[in-house]
Amino acid sequence: MQTLLQVTLADFRESVRAKWFLLYSLIFGGAIVLLFVLGVTESRVLGFTGLSRLLITYIQLCVAILPIMILISTVRSVVGDRESNILEYFLSMPISLASYYWGKIFARFFLIFIPISLALGGAILWGRIKGLGVPWHVGGYYSLMLGILSWCFLGIGMFISANVRKQEWGLGLSILVWLVFLLFIDVILIGLMMQQQIRESVIVTIALLNPVMVFRTGAVLLFDPELTSMGPASYVILDNLGYGGFLAYTLLYPLALGWLFSWLGYLRFRRGDLV
Amino acid sequence: MIEITRLRKQFGRTTVLNDISLQIGRGDRIALIGPNGAGKTTLIRSILGQYVVNGELTIFGKEPRQHREEILDRVGYVPQLPPPIQMSVRELVHFSASISSRSTVEEIGRQAEALGLDIDRNSRKSFQKLSGGMKQKLLIALALAGKPDVLIMDEPAANLDPQARQTFFLRLLQAMTETTMLLSSHRVDEISGLVNRIIEMDHGRVIQDEVIDAAILGETMLHCRVVLTRPHEAADRLFAEWNFSKVNGEPVYEGGFIGTERLRFLTSVSHFANHIKELSIN
Repeated sequence: MQTLLQVTLADFRESVRAKWFLLYSLIFGGAIVLLFVLGVTESRVLGFTGLSRLLITYIQLCVAILPIMILISTVRSVVGDRESNILEYFLSMPISLASYYWGKIFARFFLIFIPISLALGGAILWGRIKGLGVPWHVGGYYSLMLGILSWCFLGIGMFISANVRKQEWGLGLSILVWLVFLLFIDVILIGLMMQQQIRESVIVTIALLNPVMVFRTGAVLLFDPELTSMGPASYVILDNLGYGGFLAYTLLYPLALGWLFSWLGYLRFRRGDLV
Repeated sequence: MIEITRLRKQFGRTTVLNDISLQIGRGDRIALIGPNGAGKTTLIRSILGQYVVNGELTIFGKEPRQHREEILDRVGYVPQLPPPIQMSVRELVHFSASISSRSTVEEIGRQAEALGLDIDRNSRKSFQKLSGGMKQKLLIALALAGKPDVLIMDEPAANLDPQARQTFFLRLLQAMTETTMLLSSHRVDEISGLVNRIIEMDHGRVIQDEVIDAAILGETMLHCRVVLTRPHEAADRLFAEWNFSKVNGEPVYEGGFIGTERLRFLTSVSHFANHIKELSIN
Protein backbone atom coordinates (compact mmCIF):
# COMPACT_ATOMS: atom_id res chain seq x y z
CA MET A 1 0.00 0.00 0.00
CA GLN A 2 2.89 2.31 0.90
CA THR A 3 4.57 1.56 -2.45
CA LEU A 4 1.31 2.19 -4.33
CA LEU A 5 1.03 5.59 -2.66
CA GLN A 6 4.66 6.43 -3.45
CA VAL A 7 4.25 5.44 -7.12
CA THR A 8 1.00 7.40 -7.37
CA LEU A 9 2.64 10.50 -5.91
CA ALA A 10 5.76 10.10 -8.06
CA ASP A 11 3.76 9.69 -11.27
CA PHE A 12 1.52 12.61 -10.29
CA ARG A 13 4.58 14.84 -9.82
CA GLU A 14 6.12 13.52 -13.02
CA SER A 15 3.00 14.09 -15.13
CA VAL A 16 2.12 17.47 -13.67
CA ARG A 17 5.25 18.82 -15.38
CA ALA A 18 4.31 17.34 -18.74
CA LYS A 19 3.18 19.63 -21.53
CA TRP A 20 0.01 17.65 -22.17
CA PHE A 21 -1.20 18.44 -18.66
CA LEU A 22 -0.66 22.16 -19.14
CA LEU A 23 -2.56 22.05 -22.44
CA TYR A 24 -5.29 19.92 -20.91
CA SER A 25 -5.76 22.27 -17.92
CA LEU A 26 -5.83 25.30 -20.20
CA ILE A 27 -8.47 23.74 -22.44
CA PHE A 28 -10.84 22.59 -19.71
CA GLY A 29 -10.26 25.53 -17.37
CA GLY A 30 -10.31 27.99 -20.27
CA ALA A 31 -13.55 26.51 -21.61
CA ILE A 32 -15.49 27.57 -18.50
CA VAL A 33 -13.98 31.07 -18.60
CA LEU A 34 -14.83 31.31 -22.30
CA LEU A 35 -18.43 30.22 -21.69
CA PHE A 36 -18.84 32.98 -19.10
CA VAL A 37 -17.16 35.56 -21.35
CA LEU A 38 -19.40 34.58 -24.26
CA GLY A 39 -22.41 35.18 -22.05
CA VAL A 40 -23.73 31.64 -22.21
CA THR A 41 -25.43 32.10 -18.84
CA GLU A 42 -27.47 34.99 -20.28
CA SER A 43 -28.71 33.07 -23.31
CA ARG A 44 -31.59 30.64 -23.46
CA VAL A 45 -31.73 27.43 -25.46
CA LEU A 46 -34.53 24.86 -25.12
CA GLY A 47 -35.55 26.57 -21.89
CA PHE A 48 -32.15 26.27 -20.22
CA THR A 49 -30.68 29.46 -18.81
CA GLY A 50 -28.28 30.67 -16.11
CA LEU A 51 -25.77 28.27 -14.59
CA SER A 52 -27.75 25.25 -15.84
CA ARG A 53 -27.25 26.47 -19.39
CA LEU A 54 -23.53 26.86 -18.77
CA LEU A 55 -23.22 23.43 -17.19
CA ILE A 56 -25.01 21.65 -20.01
CA THR A 57 -22.82 23.40 -22.59
CA TYR A 58 -19.70 22.52 -20.61
CA ILE A 59 -20.68 18.88 -20.18
CA GLN A 60 -21.41 18.54 -23.90
CA LEU A 61 -18.00 20.02 -24.61
CA CYS A 62 -16.39 17.57 -22.18
CA VAL A 63 -18.18 14.56 -23.65
CA ALA A 64 -16.95 15.62 -27.08
CA ILE A 65 -13.26 16.27 -26.34
CA LEU A 66 -12.39 14.78 -22.94
CA PRO A 67 -12.29 11.12 -24.10
CA ILE A 68 -9.88 11.75 -26.95
CA MET A 69 -7.64 13.91 -24.73
CA ILE A 70 -7.56 11.17 -22.10
CA LEU A 71 -6.91 8.46 -24.68
CA ILE A 72 -4.08 10.35 -26.39
CA SER A 73 -2.34 11.23 -23.13
CA THR A 74 -2.86 7.84 -21.48
CA VAL A 75 -1.82 5.53 -24.31
CA ARG A 76 1.68 6.98 -24.02
CA SER A 77 1.80 5.99 -20.38
CA VAL A 78 3.19 2.42 -20.24
CA VAL A 79 4.48 2.20 -23.81
CA GLY A 80 6.09 5.66 -23.56
CA ASP A 81 7.89 4.69 -20.34
CA ARG A 82 8.98 1.49 -22.05
CA GLU A 83 10.41 3.28 -25.08
CA SER A 84 12.26 5.87 -23.00
CA ASN A 85 13.77 3.27 -20.62
CA ILE A 86 11.98 4.83 -17.64
CA LEU A 87 10.11 1.57 -17.16
CA GLU A 88 13.35 -0.43 -17.18
CA TYR A 89 14.80 1.77 -14.45
CA PHE A 90 11.75 2.01 -12.19
CA LEU A 91 11.04 -1.71 -12.52
CA SER A 92 14.58 -2.47 -11.36
CA MET A 93 13.46 -1.02 -8.01
CA PRO A 94 11.51 -3.09 -5.46
CA ILE A 95 8.12 -2.02 -6.78
CA SER A 96 5.38 -4.60 -7.33
CA LEU A 97 3.86 -4.65 -10.80
CA ALA A 98 0.44 -3.98 -9.28
CA SER A 99 1.72 -0.88 -7.45
CA TYR A 100 3.38 0.42 -10.60
CA TYR A 101 0.38 -0.12 -12.89
CA TRP A 102 -2.40 0.98 -10.53
CA GLY A 103 -0.27 3.80 -9.17
CA LYS A 104 0.02 5.18 -12.68
CA ILE A 105 -3.74 4.88 -13.24
CA PHE A 106 -4.66 6.58 -9.97
CA ALA A 107 -2.18 9.39 -10.57
CA ARG A 108 -3.61 9.95 -14.06
CA PHE A 109 -7.14 9.90 -12.71
CA PHE A 110 -6.42 12.66 -10.20
CA LEU A 111 -4.54 14.63 -12.84
CA ILE A 112 -7.47 14.46 -15.23
CA PHE A 113 -10.18 14.99 -12.68
CA ILE A 114 -8.66 17.88 -10.74
CA PRO A 115 -8.78 20.52 -13.54
CA ILE A 116 -12.35 19.67 -14.59
CA SER A 117 -13.66 19.54 -11.03
CA LEU A 118 -11.88 22.83 -10.26
CA ALA A 119 -13.47 24.31 -13.39
CA LEU A 120 -16.93 23.09 -12.31
CA GLY A 121 -16.37 24.33 -8.76
CA GLY A 122 -15.12 27.68 -10.09
CA ALA A 123 -18.20 28.01 -12.28
CA ILE A 124 -20.52 27.33 -9.36
CA LEU A 125 -18.65 29.80 -7.15
CA TRP A 126 -18.76 32.47 -9.83
CA GLY A 127 -22.45 31.74 -10.38
CA ARG A 128 -23.14 32.35 -6.69
CA ILE A 129 -21.19 35.61 -6.77
CA LYS A 130 -23.23 36.68 -9.78
CA GLY A 131 -26.41 35.72 -7.97
CA LEU A 132 -27.32 32.88 -10.32
CA GLY A 133 -29.26 29.95 -8.96
CA VAL A 134 -27.02 26.93 -8.38
CA PRO A 135 -28.46 23.59 -9.58
CA TRP A 136 -26.68 21.50 -6.91
CA HIS A 137 -28.12 18.14 -8.01
CA VAL A 138 -26.98 18.82 -11.59
CA GLY A 139 -23.52 19.93 -10.43
CA GLY A 140 -23.17 16.80 -8.28
CA TYR A 141 -24.35 14.45 -11.01
CA TYR A 142 -22.10 16.09 -13.60
CA SER A 143 -19.06 15.90 -11.31
CA LEU A 144 -19.74 12.21 -10.78
CA MET A 145 -20.33 11.70 -14.48
CA LEU A 146 -17.10 13.46 -15.49
CA GLY A 147 -15.18 11.41 -12.95
CA ILE A 148 -16.62 8.19 -14.35
CA LEU A 149 -16.12 9.35 -17.94
CA SER A 150 -12.46 9.97 -17.08
CA TRP A 151 -12.14 6.58 -15.39
CA CYS A 152 -13.77 4.78 -18.34
CA PHE A 153 -11.46 6.24 -20.98
CA LEU A 154 -8.47 6.02 -18.68
CA GLY A 155 -9.10 2.27 -18.45
CA ILE A 156 -9.40 1.94 -22.23
CA GLY A 157 -6.23 4.05 -22.69
CA MET A 158 -4.22 1.95 -20.21
CA PHE A 159 -5.43 -1.24 -21.87
CA ILE A 160 -4.17 0.00 -25.24
CA SER A 161 -0.93 1.24 -23.69
CA ALA A 162 -0.22 -2.12 -22.05
CA ASN A 163 -0.84 -3.99 -25.30
CA VAL A 164 1.12 -2.02 -27.90
CA ARG A 165 4.89 -1.95 -28.35
CA LYS A 166 5.14 1.46 -30.07
CA GLN A 167 3.63 4.81 -29.12
CA GLU A 168 2.56 5.41 -32.73
CA TRP A 169 0.47 2.25 -32.65
CA GLY A 170 -1.11 3.36 -29.40
CA LEU A 171 -2.00 6.77 -30.78
CA GLY A 172 -3.42 5.27 -33.96
CA LEU A 173 -5.51 2.77 -32.03
CA SER A 174 -6.84 5.38 -29.61
CA ILE A 175 -7.99 7.58 -32.49
CA LEU A 176 -9.60 4.55 -34.14
CA VAL A 177 -11.44 3.65 -30.91
CA TRP A 178 -12.62 7.23 -30.59
CA LEU A 179 -13.85 7.30 -34.21
CA VAL A 180 -15.76 4.03 -33.74
CA PHE A 181 -17.48 5.45 -30.65
CA LEU A 182 -18.34 8.64 -32.54
CA LEU A 183 -19.67 6.67 -35.50
CA PHE A 184 -22.15 4.88 -33.30
CA ILE A 185 -23.78 7.84 -31.59
CA ASP A 186 -27.44 8.61 -32.03
CA VAL A 187 -27.29 10.66 -35.20
CA ILE A 188 -25.50 7.95 -37.16
CA LEU A 189 -27.67 5.23 -35.63
CA ILE A 190 -30.74 6.97 -37.05
CA GLY A 191 -29.19 6.68 -40.51
CA LEU A 192 -28.46 2.99 -39.91
CA MET A 193 -31.99 2.32 -38.75
CA MET A 194 -33.53 4.02 -41.72
CA GLN A 195 -31.22 2.77 -44.44
CA GLN A 196 -30.47 -0.79 -43.40
CA GLN A 197 -33.72 -1.45 -41.55
CA ILE A 198 -31.73 -3.00 -38.73
CA ARG A 199 -33.74 -4.34 -35.81
CA GLU A 200 -34.44 -1.86 -33.08
CA SER A 201 -32.99 -4.12 -30.39
CA VAL A 202 -29.61 -4.25 -32.20
CA ILE A 203 -29.47 -0.47 -32.52
CA VAL A 204 -30.39 0.00 -28.86
CA THR A 205 -27.78 -2.56 -27.78
CA ILE A 206 -25.09 -0.77 -29.81
CA ALA A 207 -26.15 2.55 -28.30
CA LEU A 208 -26.13 1.13 -24.79
CA LEU A 209 -22.65 -0.35 -25.24
CA ASN A 210 -21.17 2.87 -26.57
CA PRO A 211 -19.89 4.90 -23.58
CA VAL A 212 -19.87 8.16 -25.57
CA MET A 213 -23.53 7.64 -26.44
CA VAL A 214 -24.36 6.77 -22.85
CA PHE A 215 -22.66 9.92 -21.53
CA ARG A 216 -24.19 12.09 -24.22
CA THR A 217 -27.69 10.88 -23.42
CA GLY A 218 -27.17 11.00 -19.67
CA ALA A 219 -25.89 14.58 -19.87
CA VAL A 220 -29.08 15.77 -21.57
CA LEU A 221 -31.45 13.62 -19.55
CA LEU A 222 -31.38 15.90 -16.50
CA PHE A 223 -32.66 18.85 -18.51
CA ASP A 224 -34.75 17.05 -21.06
CA PRO A 225 -36.41 14.12 -19.24
CA GLU A 226 -38.30 13.16 -22.41
CA LEU A 227 -35.12 13.30 -24.54
CA THR A 228 -36.98 15.30 -27.15
CA SER A 229 -33.70 16.88 -28.25
CA MET A 230 -32.01 13.53 -28.84
CA GLY A 231 -32.36 10.83 -31.49
CA PRO A 232 -34.73 7.85 -31.52
CA ALA A 233 -32.25 5.37 -30.06
CA SER A 234 -32.04 7.45 -26.88
CA TYR A 235 -35.80 7.65 -26.79
CA VAL A 236 -36.16 3.87 -27.02
CA ILE A 237 -33.50 3.37 -24.34
CA LEU A 238 -35.30 5.78 -22.02
CA ASP A 239 -38.56 4.01 -22.71
CA ASN A 240 -37.04 0.67 -21.73
CA LEU A 241 -34.93 1.68 -18.73
CA GLY A 242 -36.94 4.54 -17.30
CA TYR A 243 -35.58 7.88 -16.06
CA GLY A 244 -33.93 6.65 -12.84
CA GLY A 245 -32.77 3.41 -14.38
CA PHE A 246 -31.06 5.17 -17.25
CA LEU A 247 -29.39 7.74 -14.97
CA ALA A 248 -28.02 4.86 -12.89
CA TYR A 249 -26.93 3.04 -16.05
CA THR A 250 -25.03 6.11 -17.34
CA LEU A 251 -22.91 5.96 -14.19
CA LEU A 252 -22.58 2.24 -13.52
CA TYR A 253 -21.89 0.92 -17.02
CA PRO A 254 -18.93 3.22 -17.87
CA LEU A 255 -17.55 2.69 -14.36
CA ALA A 256 -17.62 -1.09 -14.91
CA LEU A 257 -16.18 -0.67 -18.42
CA GLY A 258 -13.29 1.41 -17.04
CA TRP A 259 -12.51 -1.21 -14.38
CA LEU A 260 -12.76 -4.05 -16.91
CA PHE A 261 -10.30 -2.49 -19.36
CA SER A 262 -7.93 -1.39 -16.57
CA TRP A 263 -7.93 -4.93 -15.23
CA LEU A 264 -7.39 -6.51 -18.67
CA GLY A 265 -4.54 -4.06 -19.25
CA TYR A 266 -3.02 -5.05 -15.91
CA LEU A 267 -3.24 -8.76 -16.73
CA ARG A 268 -1.47 -8.14 -20.05
CA PHE A 269 1.17 -5.95 -18.40
CA ARG A 270 1.84 -8.54 -15.70
CA ARG A 271 2.09 -11.54 -18.01
CA GLY A 272 4.29 -10.22 -20.79
CA ASP A 273 7.80 -8.80 -21.11
CA LEU A 274 7.94 -5.66 -19.01
CA VAL A 275 10.43 -3.78 -21.18
CA MET B 1 23.45 -16.48 -5.44
CA ILE B 2 22.32 -16.38 -9.09
CA GLU B 3 21.56 -19.74 -10.73
CA ILE B 4 20.83 -19.82 -14.45
CA THR B 5 20.04 -23.11 -16.18
CA ARG B 6 19.38 -23.47 -19.92
CA LEU B 7 18.05 -19.93 -20.22
CA ARG B 8 16.48 -19.03 -23.56
CA LYS B 9 14.87 -15.85 -24.76
CA GLN B 10 13.36 -15.22 -28.15
CA PHE B 11 11.93 -12.06 -29.68
CA GLY B 12 9.73 -13.30 -32.49
CA ARG B 13 11.92 -15.69 -34.43
CA THR B 14 15.17 -14.19 -33.19
CA THR B 15 16.90 -16.08 -30.41
CA VAL B 16 18.62 -13.53 -28.21
CA LEU B 17 19.69 -15.81 -25.37
CA ASN B 18 20.50 -19.36 -26.35
CA ASP B 19 20.86 -22.05 -23.72
CA ILE B 20 22.72 -19.99 -21.12
CA SER B 21 23.79 -21.76 -17.95
CA LEU B 22 25.69 -19.86 -15.26
CA GLN B 23 26.30 -20.04 -11.55
CA ILE B 24 27.20 -16.79 -9.91
CA GLY B 25 28.26 -17.00 -6.30
CA ARG B 26 28.67 -14.53 -3.45
CA GLY B 27 31.63 -12.25 -4.02
CA ASP B 28 31.87 -12.99 -7.75
CA ARG B 29 32.88 -9.85 -9.60
CA ILE B 30 32.03 -10.42 -13.20
CA ALA B 31 32.90 -8.48 -16.32
CA LEU B 32 30.17 -9.21 -18.84
CA ILE B 33 31.68 -8.47 -22.21
CA GLY B 34 30.78 -8.97 -25.83
CA PRO B 35 29.90 -7.03 -28.98
CA ASN B 36 26.64 -5.14 -29.53
CA GLY B 37 23.74 -7.57 -29.89
CA ALA B 38 25.56 -10.32 -27.99
CA GLY B 39 22.72 -10.56 -25.45
CA LYS B 40 24.32 -8.78 -22.46
CA THR B 41 21.46 -6.37 -21.81
CA THR B 42 18.85 -9.11 -22.34
CA LEU B 43 20.65 -11.27 -19.77
CA ILE B 44 20.74 -8.39 -17.29
CA ARG B 45 17.05 -7.64 -17.83
CA SER B 46 16.20 -11.32 -17.42
CA ILE B 47 18.04 -11.37 -14.08
CA LEU B 48 16.05 -8.26 -13.07
CA GLY B 49 12.83 -10.16 -13.87
CA GLN B 50 11.87 -7.87 -16.74
CA TYR B 51 11.51 -10.61 -19.35
CA VAL B 52 9.50 -13.77 -19.50
CA VAL B 53 12.11 -16.44 -20.24
CA ASN B 54 12.39 -20.17 -20.83
CA GLY B 55 14.68 -22.19 -18.59
CA GLU B 56 15.42 -21.60 -14.96
CA LEU B 57 16.66 -18.44 -13.32
CA THR B 58 16.78 -17.84 -9.59
CA ILE B 59 18.33 -15.16 -7.41
CA PHE B 60 18.81 -15.90 -3.72
CA GLY B 61 16.97 -19.16 -4.53
CA LYS B 62 13.85 -17.38 -5.75
CA GLU B 63 12.32 -16.69 -9.13
CA PRO B 64 12.71 -12.96 -9.88
CA ARG B 65 9.26 -12.38 -11.41
CA GLN B 66 7.41 -14.09 -8.58
CA HIS B 67 9.38 -12.44 -5.76
CA ARG B 68 10.41 -9.20 -7.44
CA GLU B 69 10.06 -6.83 -4.47
CA GLU B 70 11.96 -9.11 -2.10
CA ILE B 71 14.72 -9.75 -4.65
CA LEU B 72 15.05 -6.24 -6.07
CA ASP B 73 15.33 -4.81 -2.56
CA ARG B 74 18.71 -6.59 -2.44
CA VAL B 75 19.78 -5.67 -5.98
CA GLY B 76 21.28 -2.38 -7.14
CA TYR B 77 21.06 -1.46 -10.81
CA VAL B 78 22.70 1.27 -12.85
CA PRO B 79 21.44 1.51 -16.45
CA GLN B 80 23.62 2.37 -19.41
CA LEU B 81 21.55 5.42 -20.39
CA PRO B 82 19.99 7.63 -17.72
CA PRO B 83 16.21 7.58 -18.22
CA PRO B 84 14.49 10.94 -18.98
CA ILE B 85 12.91 11.30 -15.53
CA GLN B 86 11.10 14.61 -15.03
CA MET B 87 11.17 14.47 -11.22
CA SER B 88 13.45 16.81 -9.34
CA VAL B 89 16.64 15.40 -7.79
CA ARG B 90 15.10 15.74 -4.32
CA GLU B 91 11.94 13.91 -5.35
CA LEU B 92 13.89 11.10 -6.99
CA VAL B 93 16.14 10.67 -3.94
CA HIS B 94 13.15 10.57 -1.58
CA PHE B 95 11.26 8.24 -3.89
CA SER B 96 14.17 5.81 -4.10
CA ALA B 97 14.72 5.88 -0.34
CA SER B 98 11.02 5.33 0.36
CA ILE B 99 10.80 2.34 -2.00
CA SER B 100 13.88 0.53 -0.66
CA SER B 101 13.94 -0.88 2.84
CA ARG B 102 17.77 -0.61 2.91
CA SER B 103 18.37 2.88 1.56
CA THR B 104 18.07 6.25 3.26
CA VAL B 105 18.15 9.82 2.00
CA GLU B 106 21.26 10.47 4.13
CA GLU B 107 23.13 7.48 2.72
CA ILE B 108 22.26 8.50 -0.87
CA GLY B 109 23.62 11.96 -0.04
CA ARG B 110 26.85 10.47 1.32
CA GLN B 111 27.35 8.22 -1.71
CA ALA B 112 26.66 11.09 -4.09
CA GLU B 113 29.03 13.39 -2.24
CA ALA B 114 31.80 10.81 -2.48
CA LEU B 115 31.28 10.76 -6.23
CA GLY B 116 31.45 14.57 -6.37
CA LEU B 117 27.74 15.35 -6.60
CA ASP B 118 26.22 17.81 -4.14
CA ILE B 119 22.59 16.75 -3.86
CA ASP B 120 21.51 19.71 -1.72
CA ARG B 121 22.82 22.15 -4.32
CA ASN B 122 20.98 20.39 -7.13
CA SER B 123 17.89 19.26 -5.21
CA ARG B 124 15.43 21.53 -7.05
CA LYS B 125 16.77 20.75 -10.51
CA SER B 126 14.89 18.32 -12.68
CA PHE B 127 16.84 15.06 -13.07
CA GLN B 128 16.42 15.50 -16.80
CA LYS B 129 18.23 18.86 -16.70
CA LEU B 130 21.38 17.48 -15.02
CA SER B 131 24.47 16.87 -17.13
CA GLY B 132 25.16 13.31 -18.31
CA GLY B 133 27.86 12.82 -15.68
CA MET B 134 25.70 14.17 -12.85
CA LYS B 135 22.82 11.89 -13.81
CA GLN B 136 25.12 8.89 -13.82
CA LYS B 137 26.60 9.85 -10.44
CA LEU B 138 23.13 10.12 -8.93
CA LEU B 139 22.03 6.76 -10.36
CA ILE B 140 25.20 5.13 -9.00
CA ALA B 141 24.63 6.77 -5.59
CA LEU B 142 21.02 5.50 -5.54
CA ALA B 143 22.22 1.97 -6.36
CA LEU B 144 25.07 1.92 -3.83
CA ALA B 145 23.05 3.49 -0.99
CA GLY B 146 20.94 0.35 -0.65
CA LYS B 147 24.09 -1.69 0.14
CA PRO B 148 23.03 -4.28 -2.41
CA ASP B 149 23.95 -7.95 -2.23
CA VAL B 150 24.00 -7.96 -6.03
CA LEU B 151 25.11 -4.93 -8.02
CA ILE B 152 24.33 -4.92 -11.73
CA MET B 153 25.73 -2.17 -13.91
CA ASP B 154 25.43 -1.64 -17.62
CA GLU B 155 28.33 0.54 -18.82
CA PRO B 156 28.36 2.31 -15.46
CA ALA B 157 31.18 4.80 -15.98
CA ALA B 158 30.41 5.81 -19.55
CA ASN B 159 29.40 9.40 -18.68
CA LEU B 160 31.81 10.05 -15.84
CA ASP B 161 34.83 12.33 -15.93
CA PRO B 162 38.21 10.68 -15.08
CA GLN B 163 38.19 11.82 -11.44
CA ALA B 164 34.67 10.60 -10.78
CA ARG B 165 35.47 7.37 -12.59
CA GLN B 166 38.43 6.80 -10.28
CA THR B 167 36.33 7.53 -7.18
CA PHE B 168 33.56 5.31 -8.49
CA PHE B 169 35.86 2.34 -9.01
CA LEU B 170 37.42 2.96 -5.58
CA ARG B 171 33.92 2.87 -4.04
CA LEU B 172 33.26 -0.39 -5.82
CA LEU B 173 36.53 -1.84 -4.54
CA GLN B 174 35.47 -0.92 -1.00
CA ALA B 175 32.05 -2.48 -1.45
CA MET B 176 33.03 -5.58 -3.34
CA THR B 177 34.09 -7.87 -0.49
CA GLU B 178 30.46 -8.66 0.26
CA THR B 179 28.76 -7.69 -2.98
CA THR B 180 28.31 -9.81 -6.07
CA MET B 181 28.89 -7.61 -9.09
CA LEU B 182 27.93 -7.94 -12.70
CA LEU B 183 29.47 -5.24 -14.83
CA SER B 184 28.68 -4.97 -18.48
CA SER B 185 31.30 -2.89 -20.22
CA HIS B 186 33.02 -2.29 -23.51
CA ARG B 187 36.11 -0.98 -21.72
CA VAL B 188 37.55 -4.07 -20.11
CA ASP B 189 40.70 -2.16 -19.17
CA GLU B 190 38.69 0.02 -16.77
CA ILE B 191 37.12 -2.82 -14.87
CA SER B 192 39.81 -5.47 -15.21
CA GLY B 193 41.30 -4.56 -11.83
CA LEU B 194 37.88 -4.98 -10.21
CA VAL B 195 36.73 -8.31 -11.54
CA ASN B 196 37.65 -11.88 -10.74
CA ARG B 197 35.69 -13.50 -13.54
CA ILE B 198 35.07 -12.68 -17.20
CA ILE B 199 32.01 -13.85 -19.09
CA GLU B 200 32.10 -13.18 -22.79
CA MET B 201 28.94 -13.42 -24.84
CA ASP B 202 28.31 -13.54 -28.56
CA HIS B 203 25.14 -14.29 -30.52
CA GLY B 204 23.23 -15.06 -27.33
CA ARG B 205 25.69 -17.66 -26.07
CA VAL B 206 28.40 -17.64 -23.42
CA ILE B 207 31.57 -18.22 -25.41
CA GLN B 208 34.00 -17.72 -22.56
CA ASP B 209 33.63 -18.01 -18.81
CA GLU B 210 36.99 -17.56 -17.18
CA VAL B 211 37.76 -17.24 -13.52
CA ILE B 212 40.79 -15.06 -12.98
CA ASP B 213 42.82 -16.81 -10.38
CA ALA B 214 44.80 -14.11 -8.62
CA ALA B 215 47.05 -16.79 -7.13
CA ILE B 216 48.46 -17.74 -10.54
CA LEU B 217 50.97 -15.09 -11.53
CA GLY B 218 49.04 -12.70 -9.28
CA GLU B 219 52.02 -11.54 -7.26
CA THR B 220 54.63 -12.22 -9.92
CA MET B 221 56.39 -9.37 -11.69
CA LEU B 222 56.08 -9.89 -15.43
CA HIS B 223 58.61 -8.50 -17.89
CA CYS B 224 57.34 -7.28 -21.19
CA ARG B 225 58.74 -6.09 -24.51
CA VAL B 226 56.65 -4.46 -27.21
CA VAL B 227 57.89 -3.55 -30.70
CA LEU B 228 55.77 -1.29 -32.89
CA THR B 229 55.98 -1.00 -36.68
CA ARG B 230 56.56 2.77 -36.48
CA PRO B 231 56.91 5.57 -33.87
CA HIS B 232 53.62 6.61 -32.30
CA GLU B 233 53.13 9.59 -29.95
CA ALA B 234 50.09 8.17 -28.17
CA ALA B 235 51.99 4.91 -27.64
CA ASP B 236 54.89 6.87 -26.09
CA ARG B 237 52.46 8.39 -23.60
CA LEU B 238 50.78 5.08 -22.83
CA PHE B 239 54.03 3.20 -22.17
CA ALA B 240 55.35 6.12 -20.11
CA GLU B 241 52.24 5.76 -17.90
CA TRP B 242 53.17 2.10 -17.41
CA ASN B 243 56.77 3.17 -16.57
CA PHE B 244 58.14 1.40 -19.63
CA SER B 245 61.37 2.66 -21.14
CA LYS B 246 61.90 3.38 -24.82
CA VAL B 247 64.95 1.52 -26.25
CA ASN B 248 67.44 3.71 -28.22
CA GLY B 249 64.72 6.09 -29.40
CA GLU B 250 63.18 3.27 -31.48
CA PRO B 251 59.49 2.26 -31.15
CA VAL B 252 60.58 -0.50 -28.81
CA TYR B 253 59.33 -0.45 -25.21
CA GLU B 254 60.48 -2.55 -22.26
CA GLY B 255 59.15 -2.69 -18.73
CA GLY B 256 57.22 -4.72 -16.24
CA PHE B 257 53.95 -4.99 -14.36
CA ILE B 258 52.45 -7.15 -11.63
CA GLY B 259 50.58 -10.30 -12.72
CA THR B 260 47.14 -9.09 -11.64
CA GLU B 261 47.51 -6.13 -14.02
CA ARG B 262 48.07 -8.21 -17.14
CA LEU B 263 44.52 -7.99 -18.43
CA ARG B 264 44.43 -4.24 -17.96
CA PHE B 265 47.82 -3.91 -19.66
CA LEU B 266 46.86 -6.05 -22.65
CA THR B 267 43.57 -4.20 -23.07
CA SER B 268 45.28 -0.84 -23.03
CA VAL B 269 47.91 -1.84 -25.61
CA SER B 270 45.19 -3.40 -27.79
CA HIS B 271 44.46 0.17 -29.02
CA PHE B 272 47.71 -0.14 -31.00
CA ALA B 273 47.02 -3.66 -32.25
CA ASN B 274 47.55 -2.62 -35.87
CA HIS B 275 51.04 -1.33 -35.07
CA ILE B 276 52.31 -4.16 -32.87
CA LYS B 277 55.09 -6.09 -34.59
CA GLU B 278 56.24 -8.07 -31.58
CA LEU B 279 54.93 -8.60 -28.05
CA SER B 280 56.43 -10.82 -25.41
CA ILE B 281 55.65 -11.33 -21.73
CA ASN B 282 57.87 -13.43 -19.48
